Amino acid sequence: MAPLDDDSKKNDVRGPEGHPLEIPRLACGAMADLKSYPAHPAHQEALGFPGELIDNWKEVAIAKIGDLASKNRAFQVYLDACVKCGACTDKCHYFLGTGDPKNMPVARQDLLRSVYRRYYTFAGKNFPWLVGARDLTREVLDEWYNYYHQCSQCRRCSVFCPYGIDTAEISMAAREILDTVGVGQKYCNEIIAKVKDIGNNLGLNPKALRATLEDLEEDLEDETGISVRLPLDEKGADILLITPSADFFAEPHIDGLLGYAKVFHAAGVSWTLSSYASEAANFGMFIGSYENMREIALRIRKAAIELGVKRIVFGECGHAWRVAYSFLNTLAGPFDFLDQNYPIPQHILEFTYNEIQKGTLKFDKSRNDEFRMTYHDSCNVARGSRMGDMPGGQFEIPRAVLRAVCNNYFDMDRDTIMESTVCCGGGGGLLTDELMDLRTKGASPRMKALQQVTKDHGVTHMAAICAICKTQFSKVMPKFGYEMDSILSVHQLVSNAIILDGQESNPDGQASIKDQQEADDNSATAAEE
Amino acid sequence: MSYQVNGTTVEHDEEGYITTLSDWSKDLAEVIAKQEDINMNEEHWEVVNFLRDYYEEYQIAPAVRVLIKAVKKTMGPEKGNNKYMYELFPYGPAKQACKIAGLPKPTGCV
Amino acid sequence: MSTLYALLYYFATLVLVAGLALKIRQYAKTPAPLKIPTTPAPTTGGGVFWRMLRELVFFESLFKSNKWIWLFGYLFHVGLLIVLLRHLRYFTQPVWFWVEWIQPFGVYASFAMVIGLAGLWARRFLVERIRYISSPSDHLMLALLLGIAISGMMMKFVDGTDIVAVKVFFLGLMRFQINELPTQTPLLVHLGLVALLMIIFPISKLLHAPGVFFSPTRNQVDNPREKRHLAAWAAELER
Ligand code: SF4
Ligand code: SF4
Repeated sequence: MAPLDDDSKKNDVRGPEGHPLEIPRLACGAMADLKSYPAHPAHQEALGFPGELIDNWKEVAIAKIGDLASKNRAFQVYLDACVKCGACTDKCHYFLGTGDPKNMPVARQDLLRSVYRRYYTFAGKNFPWLVGARDLTREVLDEWYNYYHQCSQCRRCSVFCPYGIDTAEISMAAREILDTVGVGQKYCNEIIAKVKDIGNNLGLNPKALRATLEDLEEDLEDETGISVRLPLDEKGADILLITPSADFFAEPHIDGLLGYAKVFHAAGVSWTLSSYASEAANFGMFIGSYENMREIALRIRKAAIELGVKRIVFGECGHAWRVAYSFLNTLAGPFDFLDQNYPIPQHILEFTYNEIQKGTLKFDKSRNDEFRMTYHDSCNVARGSRMGDMPGGQFEIPRAVLRAVCNNYFDMDRDTIMESTVCCGGGGGLLTDELMDLRTKGASPRMKALQQVTKDHGVTHMAAICAICKTQFSKVMPKFGYEMDSILSVHQLVSNAIILDGQESNPDGQASIKDQQEADDNSATAAEE
Repeated sequence: MSYQVNGTTVEHDEEGYITTLSDWSKDLAEVIAKQEDINMNEEHWEVVNFLRDYYEEYQIAPAVRVLIKAVKKTMGPEKGNNKYMYELFPYGPAKQACKIAGLPKPTGCV
Repeated sequence: MSTLYALLYYFATLVLVAGLALKIRQYAKTPAPLKIPTTPAPTTGGGVFWRMLRELVFFESLFKSNKWIWLFGYLFHVGLLIVLLRHLRYFTQPVWFWVEWIQPFGVYASFAMVIGLAGLWARRFLVERIRYISSPSDHLMLALLLGIAISGMMMKFVDGTDIVAVKVFFLGLMRFQINELPTQTPLLVHLGLVALLMIIFPISKLLHAPGVFFSPTRNQVDNPREKRHLAAWAAELER
């Protein structure tokens, strides 16, 4: 068996923790009962879905499969094209973490494909046993609910499938079908309802947002000795910053927000936040609802027009950047009223990177010497978007910025980063407490890869550019021998290192500006190499 | 899904957050805390009271940082830090303390 | 017997061509509402052309994914391609020079096919993950392809078939005449299985062949910021 079964190779354990991508034995049904809380009727209805399971759910669900297949080429082609080659079976972090075979991407697709075949294909209609087709029953519906809420829509499987079959597309469609028959998920749908009502996932109203920002401005002044602003609703600013509302609330997110503010300050641009579009996240994507995603995206367009800005910049948030980069123009464009000389929209890291290239930012990298860093590529940035002009800029630019502000940077195993990055375990609408068991198991490939670089290079901290990743890691890292604050925002490190004009310089450890620029040049070349 | 306090019944959701905010009372807070394995002492109350005051004014719980700053002012720097907050409320000052304080759970990527 | 096979082949060809045409039309007509290339993706149409070419010629993603599946899959597909091209000699008169030219490789190619198929099938039994995802049709598909390959090889190596007569039969079919078909068992089995394959092609997972060209994660250009992408049904929402 060994020569044909390449899995055995992966079992050569590297260190006590094991290889990050080690393949488990199948544990059938291991996660079958894990169910996230269903949405309340009020939240369902706020999104335009029935409040609870409708009587004729079966007919409606079957019709919805056909409807989606006719409106989305990916869904149609992916339902047909899978050859069950098995190449994707060991690519999902939830399978690697749980061993539940229904968390293998192809098996996850088959939960829906089997029903599609039964009602929409010749073979499935006439010979269901032959092609694994099955009737839609209540059990099947429940199984959809459970396992399509065990997919973080990270797209790792789509990288490795010979036909690019993206399980995320299937799981988005499945959630749309579930919503349509009245069984949505509480976590996502409650949040979307909140965005529509208040403008952000958190439910932070304008008054509270303003108070928070003022409080943070005080902190910034205490820290730097100069006034660095966090403007809100300022008409006529050049840049509208759209950032996840977690940046106003959670740690280490807030430190990232302070970093953006310092970069804008140092670059000398005028910018503003919006209390109306105070959210970068767009959970409409997670539930596969074009209409809801569009409605949320249009808030950004409206805010940009009302504030009269020239540019839109997005803060650190993974799926938000996918929606922004890949979908915003489609959902809420055309943006002909913005300055066409800049990318629309632009990522804060593109902005910071450009400023570093221009030489407008000054850093004292030694201020980050207490950290030995690595970087977690967030799935949606890595596999669903880009930064800069070149394919792969989404990998290079964050690393270049990190190298410009830290002295100690090390990458994790190549098979777990960049386009092969393994999910934090909490993406795609799974960042909810009742799924903690899944989240912990799903994080284990990433955590093992981190443990490797800790062992090999003494890495102490990991940086990320996604609100979900940051929260997820701060919760699960303690289970893997790290502190909850071992996860940092990339712009938190920028914030630590940046030296603002007029700022009291720190006499010891502070490089002269000239040395500093030389160091920057070196690291810029290092990053290019 | 409900708590029993002094003979009355207080409804809560799947995760233990009370559904009608005006149902809250100090006795209820003790009941919820007990269920969370927390023995309410003066510091716990300090946090809970701050959360309730803040909520009263802003209809939302404060950011952790704002909470910690406030705690620092009243209890001193050795208690006004993240670590101490997690000692008080192991499941997080934002979520667990909000539950005891009778506030809605903070939602989103937090 | 000749008439039966003639009718079978007319039917199989009709099903294959019409079925595929319908499927391709369906894929082509179904809009892709959003830009979803798996990034990093090419930023130009030319780049996408190369990406697709690498997928088709080298099975690039599969190579990154799993070397064993790649090896067996590649052996099978390349073998199949050469064997198919070699079969063109039964449908052309005079035979095209390059078909003559690949003639000698056909034999090796048939072995490659069989090894590839056997390897893929073995994995369906030996690797528990793949065993789990296999349904009866996945096994039968491999059995069918192996049956075709082995019956074909038997005609060559075991039971010499009068392939000149076979060619006359097929050239005749192309002109709507029914000529005499030899009746050796391997030939009849071979032709029967091939007809079956043609018939199930448009209703089975063999749709991966046209599907690969229509996969949005692979064939889309990564330029959403520069160029607005809008599906017709989504444009309706903007009214
Ligand atoms: S890699 Fe693609 S074709 Fe192969 S089993 Fe997975 S989804 Fe199907
Ligand atoms: S998209 Fe990610 S989470 Fe979902 S099946 Fe694929 S690898 Fe697993």
